[in-house]
Amino acid sequence: MLVLSRQRDESIMIGDNIVVTIVDIRGDKVRLGINAPSEIPVHRQEVYEAIQRENLRASRLEPGDTQDIGRFAGRSNGSNGNASSQGKPGDGPRR
Amino acid sequence: MRINTTRFGRIDIEAGDVIRFTSGLPGLEDCREWALLADSTNDALGWLQSTSRGDVALAVVSPRRFVPEYQVRIPRSELTPLAISDIRQAQVVVVVGQNGTGLTLNLKAPIVINLEARTGRQVVASGELPLQYELTTSRPPLKKSA
Repeated sequence: MLVLSRQRDESIMIGDNIVVTIVDIRGDKVRLGINAPSEIPVHRQEVYEAIQRENLRASRLEPGDTQDIGRFAGRSNGSNGNASSQGKPGDGPRR
Repeated sequence: MRINTTRFGRIDIEAGDVIRFTSGLPGLEDCREWALLADSTNDALGWLQSTSRGDVALAVVSPRRFVPEYQVRIPRSELTPLAISDIRQAQVVVVVGQNGTGLTLNLKAPIVINLEARTGRQVVASGELPLQYELTTSRPPLKKSA
């Protein structure tokens, strides 16, 4: 691993379009500012890894596991003004 | 396009129904193209089926039908790759999982789909939200996040 020393307000560049800046240092906490193109996702590692694990676990679900999910569902209506109530998931091809 | 799936057998997907996830999904980075299928028995449920891997599919639901108080806040930077400026232009679904006690919803990382452009992205929502929100009929209220 490359290790660099930096002071507050100094930056490093990764490639030619990612800039990581040391915004603040307080005790054992460092605040970083990250400038990266929008197509490059930036995540806290532990959050990202938790989502990876959750996706992999979810990808093992089979149709038989979800049979009674309907009993947890409320009625779908648009009264709460949220986009997610505009349509049910599954406007794809119906089998 | 015809794909052989482990769950649904052989299915035909029209090219126009393919949804591209240019960053893949965390943990499933190699799956870039998906199709949204309706569940044959449950109208509250859909399946995101990978078009490249027949064994990979995620059960998805519209979160508000299960958690009416769910308010998703997503940093704008997460939406720009989808060419969406307002979350109301998008279809938001969450992934159904399963833990020891039953079915769960991943409220922390919803999937946002731009239905017009047929692009999608799994995003990290702001605030304290559970990766495994347990579905029960008694509905514990969501903790208000700061």
